[in-house]
Amino acid sequence: MTDFYNFLSENSIYIVLLIVLSIWIGIFIFTNNIDKKLKSFDKMLEEDSTNE
Amino acid sequence: MISRSMKIFLFFIMSFVLIAGFSFPIVKSPIKWFDFPFIEGLEDKARIILFHVPTAWLAVISFFTSMFYGVKYLRKQDIINDIKSESALKLGMIFCILATITGSIWAKFSWGSFWHWDPRETSIFILLLIYGALFALRSAIDNNEKRARLSAVYSILAFLTVPFFVFIMPRIMTGLHPGSSDDTTAGPIINFHMNSNMLIVFFISLIAFTIYAYWLWKLDIKTTLVKNFLNNKKRGN
Repeated sequence: MTDFYNFLSENSIYIVLLIVLSIWIGIFIFTNNIDKKLKSFDKMLEEDSTNE
Repeated sequence: MISRSMKIFLFFIMSFVLIAGFSFPIVKSPIKWFDFPFIEGLEDKARIILFHVPTAWLAVISFFTSMFYGVKYLRKQDIINDIKSESALKLGMIFCILATITGSIWAKFSWGSFWHWDPRETSIFILLLIYGALFALRSAIDNNEKRARLSAVYSILAFLTVPFFVFIMPRIMTGLHPGSSDDTTAGPIINFHMNSNMLIVFFISLIAFTIYAYWLWKLDIKTTLVKNFLNNKKRGN
């Protein structure tokens, strides 16, 4: 682990890469959550219209 | 919304583009499969191509989509076409602003200042004004059908200017941006001095950004439909 940390502190571009990858993962999860919420709302609307 | 397999595909190709964009080395004589070439005038900043160009590309695609659904609305007055057109317009504006900002940051470190009124910079600024005016037009009209009709007509006229401002004007005028008429080092974007490795990563980047923008567009349409449904229900009660 210390070797990994030493490698990162010498090659800082990989620290930036890790940060950017984390941001991308965060954005992806956020967009996916919105997608799921809208899908469940769609399902709710369908059930509502079939019940009526 | 997009399918699960498309989401997984998007996740991995975007991750690949980020990893490749940051870590693939730029060398004078590329030998290995992951080597990027050293481009005169761009040097280390060449990596920005993988992120700045897709934003501009997506702005054009989104504005085209907005015009396409504007035309569809004029042919058949189905309000869903106007919703799709408006969503594409919003996305196009966001990507246009991002292209301007990322280009401006790149300009600071390549040419010395954030803004030069270079033909490419001037043309994107004019596009921002043209499409900004469309937002003003949309917010000024209360009636849905009238707003949709006027917005459709304006989006068609606005998109007619896009090929000139994005593809023609910056190439026929002298300027600093790669691809201008007096450019001897970097060349136009298609004949770039990118080797095949960099070109592949570049096209993967375009595909990744396009899929993500398509997903956002679909989500925005659905959100607008939900908002309209809830508003109608509130008025009905």
